[in-house]
Amino acid sequence: MSAYEFPGGIYPPERKERSNQAPLRTAPLPKVVMLPLSQHTGKAALPCVNVGDAVKTGTLVARRDGMVSANVHASISGTVIEITDSVIIIQGDGEDRWATLPPLDWRTAERDTLLQRLDDSGLIGLGGAGFPTYIKAQVNEHHAIDTLVVNAAECEPYITADDLTLRHYAADVLEGAQLLARLCGATHIIVGVEDNKPEAIQALQALLTVIADSEPLASVTLKIIETRYPSGGERQLIKKLLNREVPSGGLPADIGVLCHNPGTLLAALQAVRDGLPLVARVVTLTGDAITQPGNYWVRVGTSVDALLAQVGVDDEQLHQVVVGGPMMGTPLTSLEAPVTKTTNCLIAATKEELPPAPAEAPCIRCGACESVCPAQLLPQQLHWYARAENDAALEAHHLFDCIECGACSYVCPSAIPLVQDYRSSKQRIRHKRIETAKAEHAKHRFEFRQARLVREEAEKKARRQARLAQQQSASSDATGTQTAPVADLRSLRIAQTAAKAAVRKAEKVLARAAAQDPQQRHDDLETQLATAQENLKAAEARLADARAASEQKEAP
Amino acid sequence: MSMMHAPQLGKAPSTAHVMRWVIAATLPGLAVMTLYFGLGILSNVLIAALWAVAAEALVLRLRHRPIWPTLNDSSALLTGVLLGASLPPASPWWLIGVGVIAAVVVAKQLYGGLGHNPFNPAMVGYALLLVSFPTHMTLWAPPQSLWPDSLWPQIMGTLTTSALDGLSGATPLDAFKHKGDAVLASEFWASSPLPDGTLNAWRNIALAWLAGGVVLIAKRLISWHIPVAMLGSMMLLSALFYANDTSHFGSPLFHLVTGATLFGAFFIATDPVSAATSRQGKLLYGAGIGVLVILIRNLGGYPDAVAFAVLLMNLCVPLLDIVSVPRPVGQATARPDERKSAP
Repeated sequence: MSAYEFPGGIYPPERKERSNQAPLRTAPLPKVVMLPLSQHTGKAALPCVNVGDAVKTGTLVARRDGMVSANVHASISGTVIEITDSVIIIQGDGEDRWATLPPLDWRTAERDTLLQRLDDSGLIGLGGAGFPTYIKAQVNEHHAIDTLVVNAAECEPYITADDLTLRHYAADVLEGAQLLARLCGATHIIVGVEDNKPEAIQALQALLTVIADSEPLASVTLKIIETRYPSGGERQLIKKLLNREVPSGGLPADIGVLCHNPGTLLAALQAVRDGLPLVARVVTLTGDAITQPGNYWVRVGTSVDALLAQVGVDDEQLHQVVVGGPMMGTPLTSLEAPVTKTTNCLIAATKEELPPAPAEAPCIRCGACESVCPAQLLPQQLHWYARAENDAALEAHHLFDCIECGACSYVCPSAIPLVQDYRSSKQRIRHKRIETAKAEHAKHRFEFRQARLVREEAEKKARRQARLAQQQSASSDATGTQTAPVADLRSLRIAQTAAKAAVRKAEKVLARAAAQDPQQRHDDLETQLATAQENLKAAEARLADARAASEQKEAP
Repeated sequence: MSMMHAPQLGKAPSTAHVMRWVIAATLPGLAVMTLYFGLGILSNVLIAALWAVAAEALVLRLRHRPIWPTLNDSSALLTGVLLGASLPPASPWWLIGVGVIAAVVVAKQLYGGLGHNPFNPAMVGYALLLVSFPTHMTLWAPPQSLWPDSLWPQIMGTLTTSALDGLSGATPLDAFKHKGDAVLASEFWASSPLPDGTLNAWRNIALAWLAGGVVLIAKRLISWHIPVAMLGSMMLLSALFYANDTSHFGSPLFHLVTGATLFGAFFIATDPVSAATSRQGKLLYGAGIGVLVILIRNLGGYPDAVAFAVLLMNLCVPLLDIVSVPRPVGQATARPDERKSAP
């Protein structure tokens, strides 16, 4: 299948055979789960249960707070034993009794019902960034989407979760893709797979011949691409499959594309078709210290420690546990950490397998980093600016276009931790921006307060008016005593429409900012959205007030 | 927090590994040179290497830097080997010492050590020697026996001036340069101006350097951009000269196999520290060297010009690094965003 090229890239050892030999298994039910309130991009969810409450598997335990946030559900049945600022801990009863939502048919259900379901199920992108799926599915309200890309490239070494998901659930993944294509209005679905997954490719090819006969909503194409890291980067994959370039600082939606991970699509279908909230996911457990490597269905909140113990780990050999792949993943500092919705892989590595980096040597300007950079940046230039903390030059050389894939660090002969430098530089620059935004923030808080006061006043007035109207209709003699000026209905309707538009605009700005910069909090934009919502409520109250008044006038 | 840096997988060849491979790749060239010019070539390399390591260690000590880890990167050793390989056979120890100190101490360590030198250290040393000691630097005795009689006194610098003169022999480039305008190329070659086998010797040496260079490219230790651009621009420009006047300018093939062309293209111009960094920049850098080499050889006062061409292009690197910025994916242009650089 023809494909376009993205620049750069590397060919690290794949080491996928360690985990892709065994079939998908289910990990034993954990006795305790620790559910973080912030497993997603955006604000942490707010607990909506109390200590001591009995919960079933799938019971909502924390509700999303603000627009960019996601629900959290109990992943085992049992009792809530602890609630802290960041986690809810549930002691299991070992029975795994479920609380599911009513099944829906995605072909016939209303669009809003489906979006509501994705929201209710706590669905987020399972590929890594953890962006709430219900927001992504609505992106076509602002952008025309023509193509939905199923990102099954899985280019990181070690990880085989998408591979195994496709082997076992190819039909469900493609149906999930049809569901999301319907929601976002895409007419094409392209599945991008690296050529190192022959079984998954076979499963997909077998299905495609079946699907072609059944006239699906969106046409499906399978594209097999060369195995080259980082072909699974969203921007790289879109370039490779469609030869379209996502603009700097932009989103795939800007060029009519949405990317979804196979796991997300499967979870979306299960949420709609089976009414299952997101409480479990496929996790690759691999590394030389694991005795039975493979892929497992794991309940969200299972502690890494318990999980590794269940599948068997050689404690003497274990050197470190890495969450995610060896290129972009991070080593765990505590094995008590839970598996979250975005944990796709755990590598229990020996020291020989993932050795500590050698000592850093001076940069010799060899340019190896530049030739592998998939974003076509100048990593060595950025390195010097990063060390000098020259933030202006870093931004001018497009530091924020760096996707942190680690290809530059991988090839650096001087073992310079380039990506680490870029990450801390980005952090520093973000921090600076936040500092300067603080004044702005105070202004928005003030505006929000004003809006709330106005809304409360308007609602109070509306209530009074309603009461008055009731009294007057009861004692029918009172006419003409109406002193309150009847506002012009038309201008109020216009104000209400404008307020609605402002709410939509604030939602759009927030969704965009959150998608572009998932690691940052967007409290300020959330405040602006809340302000716009207050304004809308106030406008609605005023309109209701005026309507009541005018009806009252006409009534007698 | 024990943050390891991503990625944690495997490792690319280290700088020391690259340097050692480049040293290893000089072996075919050195062997063939020794075959034609005698053990004076090996004595050059050996003495230069010793000087280089000693000079580097001394400066590191004075700078209070760790000595062993830095020596271990083998970059000083490589500088010594490359400078030694560029000198006429059996150069005296003091001459080599002056060149190496200029290379390692002045051109490299005084600028901050490995990674910070704007000029190619070996070529700084070579250029200094060429302009300071022109008689010693043109003593390319004709290809002769493996063990020349005067090897030891030559190295010790105790040979008399008259004996030195007796040793002198011209390289093909020298001879062609000084044939005089009145002599046509055909007449010049017909007069057998060089001892028998000289041209063959230089051609075989060039092929040996090429072999080493191809190994480096095949092992991805150097990128192809600089050698290809340099040789390409040399061939193109010398062909233009040659097409214009075949009797006074050397043919492209002549330029390719004589002098330091292939040695320079694979071992000197590819020094990453003093070269341009981006791929596009490397192409411009290599092409610039090639153009300068031919211009100086054909129109300038020196028979060979690789050292000067490389140093002149080293000067241009900061500019090349600015004009050769690639266009980042998703950006409209390649230019750094000046709006963002405003504070």
